[in-house]
Amino acid sequence: MSNQKKRNFQIEAFKHRVVVDPKYADKTWKVLEHAIREIYNHNASGLSFEELYRNAYNMVLHKYGEKLYSGLVKTMTSHLKEISKCIEAAQGGMFLEEMNKLWTDHNKALQMIRDILMYMDRTYIPSTQKTPVHELGLNLWRDNIIHSSKIQTRLLNTLLELVLRERTGDVINRGLMRNIIKMLMDLGPSVYQEDFENPFLEVSAEFYKGESQKFIECCDCGDYLKKAERRLNEELERVTHYLDAKSEVKITNVVEKEMIANHMLRLVHMENSGLVNMLLDDKYEDLGRMYNLFRRVANGLSTIREVMTSHIRETGKQLVTDPERLKDPVEFVQRLLDEKDKYDSIIKLSFNNDKTFQNGLNSSFEYFINLNTRSPEFISLFVDDKLRKGLKGVSEEDVEVILDKVMMLFRYLQEKDVFEKYYKQHLAKRLLSGKTVSDDAERSLIVKLKTECGYQFTSKLEGMFTDMKTSQDTMQGFYASHPELGDGPTLTVQVLTTGSWPTQPSVTCNLPAEMSALCEKFRSYYLGTHTGRRLSWQTNMGTADIKATFGKGQKHELNVSTYQMCVLMLFNNADRLNYKEIEQATEIPALDLKRCLQSMACVKGKNVLRKEPMSKDICEDDTFLVNEKFTSKLYKVKIGTVVAQKESEPEKQETRQRVEEDRKPQIEAAIVRIMKSRRTLDHNNVISEVTKQLQSRFLANPTEIKKRIESLIEREFLERDGTDRKLYRYLA
Amino acid sequence: MPRATSKRKAPPSTSASVTSSDVVSTRPGKKGKKEVDKIGSLFDVYANKTLDMIDPEGIVSLCSHLGVDHTDVRILMLAWKMKAEKQGYFSREEWRRGLKDLNADTIAKLKKALPGLEKELMATSKFEDFYAFAFQYCLTEDRQKSVDIETVCELLSLVLGPKYRSQVDVLIKYLKVQSEYRALNADQWRHFYRFCKEISFPDLEDYDSDQAWPVIIDNLVEWMKENKQS
Repeated sequence: MSNQKKRNFQIEAFKHRVVVDPKYADKTWKVLEHAIREIYNHNASGLSFEELYRNAYNMVLHKYGEKLYSGLVKTMTSHLKEISKCIEAAQGGMFLEEMNKLWTDHNKALQMIRDILMYMDRTYIPSTQKTPVHELGLNLWRDNIIHSSKIQTRLLNTLLELVLRERTGDVINRGLMRNIIKMLMDLGPSVYQEDFENPFLEVSAEFYKGESQKFIECCDCGDYLKKAERRLNEELERVTHYLDAKSEVKITNVVEKEMIANHMLRLVHMENSGLVNMLLDDKYEDLGRMYNLFRRVANGLSTIREVMTSHIRETGKQLVTDPERLKDPVEFVQRLLDEKDKYDSIIKLSFNNDKTFQNGLNSSFEYFINLNTRSPEFISLFVDDKLRKGLKGVSEEDVEVILDKVMMLFRYLQEKDVFEKYYKQHLAKRLLSGKTVSDDAERSLIVKLKTECGYQFTSKLEGMFTDMKTSQDTMQGFYASHPELGDGPTLTVQVLTTGSWPTQPSVTCNLPAEMSALCEKFRSYYLGTHTGRRLSWQTNMGTADIKATFGKGQKHELNVSTYQMCVLMLFNNADRLNYKEIEQATEIPALDLKRCLQSMACVKGKNVLRKEPMSKDICEDDTFLVNEKFTSKLYKVKIGTVVAQKESEPEKQETRQRVEEDRKPQIEAAIVRIMKSRRTLDHNNVISEVTKQLQSRFLANPTEIKKRIESLIEREFLERDGTDRKLYRYLA
Repeated sequence: MPRATSKRKAPPSTSASVTSSDVVSTRPGKKGKKEVDKIGSLFDVYANKTLDMIDPEGIVSLCSHLGVDHTDVRILMLAWKMKAEKQGYFSREEWRRGLKDLNADTIAKLKKALPGLEKELMATSKFEDFYAFAFQYCLTEDRQKSVDIETVCELLSLVLGPKYRSQVDVLIKYLKVQSEYRALNADQWRHFYRFCKEISFPDLEDYDSDQAWPVIIDNLVEWMKENKQS
């Protein structure tokens, strides 16, 4: 080599065609085929991965991919057909076991085969768009094993049989089930669904249909629900243990439909054990169960709610229309509160504080409370009772609780203005007789009413409290400026502002001389400091404490009404008086006088007077004397009664009439307000707007509204439109 | 024409006999037409000299000359033509207005014009106006807004009767029976006419209580329905 030239090293391809030994492909394939068989026969340890891989690689490289692939298919298929026969031959319980074992083997083999043929998987297969090796293996399994005519049905039936056995109480091999099901899942969602899930759901539906029919015939509602709940939980467990998670929703739907939805109404209305019975007996657990189960199905909760609501309405209606219950207003209201408490508990404990149920409860109460027109009066009497004595010794928090409950009933009332009227009357009596248990409680309730209804509702009530306070100050001032009166009878005057207190007719009554002199002194004192005012004595509302000495020297202090005091004082100057004389002297109206005399002469324990003759009623010819033999264990004897009572029929009519009269200006004010802002408005809209505005006080009657409109037309506040008679126009 | 309240008694007027002798008016400023003067002098025939108005007595004698009763509806119509304001009295202006419209300057002509007037009112849209006027004419006191039931019944019979006799009879019967209203206002009066005009009678088929009829008409319909069943 004497050449000095540097030569680049070049590698050139063969200039002639390289021909591979045609038998090379066959030989190589044979090697691979053999390997595959060995793998299937669990003899893989003797094989060299590297060699097999290289062989497969070469085949693909030398364009023999097709031969390789089809060979693979053929080999696998024939092998699987053999396996199929093994599985078919298995008996009884071994069927699934065998299949499971062979499936596991197949997967292991498939893994190895895939590794060997990796190059083909990555190059030949994508370019020819054939199925990759792994997937191919699964498909072949599916086609040759699962869908083999001798296996397909048998597999399904075996699985379903096992499920049935488990449902009827047997224990089954869950691990095996899980594996088989997983196999189906691995083979593809459509395999799982068609070869297992769909038939499974159908069979389950049948099963539960039958079971629910059986149960419903022999179980009561509570038991049935327990069973249904158990089944539901079982199915959930089953899914967790050996089914596809996606099946959970489907199987629970089946159970819900068959066991709950199909029998919903029958369960709810079941005699002696249905919803109504559960409500009556406060069966919290059963009700909770029913709620949880029914909420799973369409219309489940609404069914419960409807039945509950109509039941409450029914019982409520009976409550308020039962004449026995209406005899005692306080009891009546207490029963209402108890009912409300009962259902509040049920909704809280069993119905998950569901708002729609709460609304149903509220609407029911609103419905039946307003069926009885005396409800506003009774609620006020209840409050009166509580504030007089019921709340004695009760802690502050508990007082608030009771008052809040009362407010809750108040909110249900449609005729709140009627309540206001009665409340005012009762409050007046409480204040004037000094019979309220707790000033704080009174104030607290007023605040609650104000929050609920606005300032206007309570302004007069607050005025009443102010009057009481002011009167106290006035009395102090009076006695301070008249020290000489310290020895005489003690006068306590409450000066009531006319507008704030319930209207009372002014009455005649002649006060005894000592009193009238004192009263005059007060009058001049008061008018001295408050010019331009007018005072009128309300003798029908006052009380007096007088000391009396009887025949054997027994002394008593008598607490009486002003009327009674006037009558008794007459006996300081006379031993016997007849009715006519008393009437003349006192000038008390007849009805009140008779009542007053009756309470002092005819009531045992309070008979400070004697009547001749001894009849029960007061007649015009009766004669009265002091009852010298009067005795009482107590030193202080209370005779006067100023307690609030349920109204008599005529009184009720009167109050109702006054309420109606009061409503007229309110309606007119509402009409004017609305028309002023709208300028023109048609009839129906006026009615609905007015009703809406007055809703918080009372339910306005459309005919009454119409009458008020006509009255306003007459007084030229409004006019009808010339062409459209239904249209009203505001006249400025 | 109906008299709702007691009238102030006017001093007796001297009713002169009517002749067609013209009294020439020499007052300056007046329209010089002969016709107008005739109307004016006709006025003087019946007018109360002190009031310078035709008072109830004058109207009575006017009526007797016209040959109608003073409670006849035609006098009311005449009042309407005149746009008379005060019941029982015609002012000079009103007299002039009315007679000029009717082209009447003598009693004879006035008498002849009355049937025409009646026809005019009964037939046309002017009736509604006349009907409303009839009510207003009864409001004799200042600020009076309603007319008592008795008078209303008479007025209905007089004004609405000729057109809707059967409805009016029922209406009057009801008004006398019911006790809720002692007097009625213009709005209610107006609706009686509408009721007769629009609602088929006596079946009341198309009566719709949602149509903002006054309460008294609602009550009337209810009463009619109740009594129909008995």
